[in-house]
Amino acid sequence: MPAAVATVGLTKAFGDVVAVDGVSFEVEEGSVFGFLGPNGAGKTTTLRMIYGVLRPDSGDAVVMGRSVTRDPRGVREVIGVMPEDTGLYPRLTAEENLIYFGKLRGMEESELRERVRDLLTRLSLWEKRFTLADRLSKGMRAKLTFARAVLHEPPVLLLDEPTSGVDVMSAREIRGMMREHAEAGKTVVLSTHNMWEVQKLCEAVAVINRGKVVYRGGVEDLERLTGLREFEEIFVRLVRGEITA
Amino acid sequence: MRLWGRIGSGEVKVTRGLGLAGYGIPKAAPVVVAWKEITEALRDRRTIINTIVLPVVLIPLAMAIPILMVSPKTTPPVVELVLLDDGGAAGRLASAISDQGGMSLVVRTGRVNTSAEILGGRADLVVVIPEGFTANLTSGLTASVDYYYDPFSMKSSTAISMVSAAVSRVEEEIVSERLRPLNLSLDYVHPLVEREFQVTSTGREVSPEVVVGSMMLPMMVGVIAITGAGTFALDMIAGERERKTIEALLTAPVGRLSILAGKYLAMTFFSLLAGLSTIMASILGLILMAEEFSAGLQVTGGVGPSGIGQAAAAAAAARLIPEGVNPALVLAGVVVAMILAGLTGNAVIVMTSSFAKTFKEAQQYLGATMGVLVLPMVAVPYLPPPMMGPLRLAPVTSIAMLVRDLLVDPGNVAALVESFASSVIYLMLLLIVSAKLFGRESVIFG
Ligand SMILES: Nc1ncnc2c1ncn2[C@@H]1O[C@H](COP(=O)(O)OP(=O)(O)OP(=O)(O)O)[C@@H](O)[C@H]1O
Ligand SMILES: [Mg+2]
Repeated sequence: MPAAVATVGLTKAFGDVVAVDGVSFEVEEGSVFGFLGPNGAGKTTTLRMIYGVLRPDSGDAVVMGRSVTRDPRGVREVIGVMPEDTGLYPRLTAEENLIYFGKLRGMEESELRERVRDLLTRLSLWEKRFTLADRLSKGMRAKLTFARAVLHEPPVLLLDEPTSGVDVMSAREIRGMMREHAEAGKTVVLSTHNMWEVQKLCEAVAVINRGKVVYRGGVEDLERLTGLREFEEIFVRLVRGEITA
Repeated sequence: MRLWGRIGSGEVKVTRGLGLAGYGIPKAAPVVVAWKEITEALRDRRTIINTIVLPVVLIPLAMAIPILMVSPKTTPPVVELVLLDDGGAAGRLASAISDQGGMSLVVRTGRVNTSAEILGGRADLVVVIPEGFTANLTSGLTASVDYYYDPFSMKSSTAISMVSAAVSRVEEEIVSERLRPLNLSLDYVHPLVEREFQVTSTGREVSPEVVVGSMMLPMMVGVIAITGAGTFALDMIAGERERKTIEALLTAPVGRLSILAGKYLAMTFFSLLAGLSTIMASILGLILMAEEFSAGLQVTGGVGPSGIGQAAAAAAAARLIPEGVNPALVLAGVVVAMILAGLTGNAVIVMTSSFAKTFKEAQQYLGATMGVLVLPMVAVPYLPPPMMGPLRLAPVTSIAMLVRDLLVDPGNVAALVESFASSVIYLMLLLIVSAKLFGRESVIFG
């Protein structure tokens, strides 16, 4: 089966800082893929190159068979993105923020109405639909940003820390929706600092540190390989370089 | 401020419909972007008040208040006439002044402290007819009429011109009387007659309003080009970046040019809104001024005071446009010029915002750029015709010249084409450069 997302030697430097250094990994279609690493490891930079707002210095990313360097628009057609900064419009209401992106993605009016209602209801935001985005709580904003990413049911979801700052109930709802997405045969790539979440949700992970991939493969393989049951412990040792995969 | 929604609760009331209308609008990206920008901008209460509401209220007031203050109709100037001579000639001058009307006249026969009267605000003008006035005149000499006035007061000047009209009338009578025994007429002492002929390219006479209009209107359209949609436009570019909303936007499968086109659409909407409301407000101001001066325009037969006002207003507005020039054509030309001006100003804003990291920095760049562009435009009303040619080729000023030519020289097609073509060429260049700069990686994540 072809990979839903494949990166080949993605590299990006900001001045002297090499933020991402030859990152390669593949994400199987229909799976939830975790992208881990300490602060400043280069997760956000890698995701930005995949969703096409940063041009790689070298390397490429291919999403559903479309190369981001040669067909960036093609890539944008098949992805839904949740950036690190929510990027919600503060003077648009919750509902309008969704309408804007639905329309930009060419959704039909009736389909869009239905989808907005469904998503806002599931994420407990329906009562807040007339509230301006800058009056929503941090968690509500995260949920709304997630809703914006899945609105058009894209084949590939690229989520930069989707549950950070979200309460237990809502994080659970978001995770449920990510899993549903994968069960429907679509693909989810998320970066996260939540090790428990990785263990519950992801089939495979890539761990990066200082811009370089230090592990890629199945979560279960890693547990078997290291003999450790706590993923957090595995992560710490990977980052410290105490174990290599 | 219920009108713009209860901001405190973060719920939107009035513009809600506009936002939800998004469900129904066409899916064309520029339309969607423009819808969103306009919806957001209309919720920016402070900017709306500063750029649209305040000018509409302040411009007519700024124009009308000084007129109301000095207008003889509302509060006539107080003139104190001090008669220190009780002869016939003095009496004759006094009655001529009192016949003049338009002022409230106080006649005194004893000496007064002129400075105290003026500085104490009891009189706007003190006219003293000194002792010996009649005697001097009867013996064929000259006699003086003394004015004591406040040089800082418009009302004092108005009062002087009123009194001096009466003085001139009396003077003419006296001269005629002196000439009659010699069998001479007044023409004998006024051998020169000044005659004025207006030379205009249309061959028609123009009213003072046209002259004012032809100076004001090009400036106003030029100002639209300088300010563009101002804060709205800055917000749409620098604000989108500062609030980090551009990143998510650029993940949608929409070309950057479509996004920019949508933003230009919204900016032009606000430029036109600001421009038209400014021009409307100025015309309203002119109407108020005209109404104030319409004492002579008494319409009889069932027309109430507001009818008189309307007639005066219509007359004032009509006099803005030169005779023989089609008002519809002028209006269309002004709207075209305003769209050109708005787009030009906004393209400059997009360009300068693209270099700036913050909203504030963008404002500073903009100030400098606009300062350079506005300089030649300031010269438009003052330059002699031969020097107007180069101005038609200067950026932004070309748009002001287009409006000026439309009002002053509508038959000069070559000039109109020249200023129109150069305006369009500058606009194209600016649009291309702004499109190249918009959405650059270093601009977004610099
Ligand atoms: N626009 C930029 N300009 C300069 N340096 C940058 C820029 N964006 C990221 N960097 C640098 O690149 C490196 C990787 O940053 P990145 O944001 O990708 O890390 P991250 O793994 O997402 O971290 P976090 O877990 O904190 O979100 C860091 O050293 C960061 O300082
Ligand atoms: Mg990050």
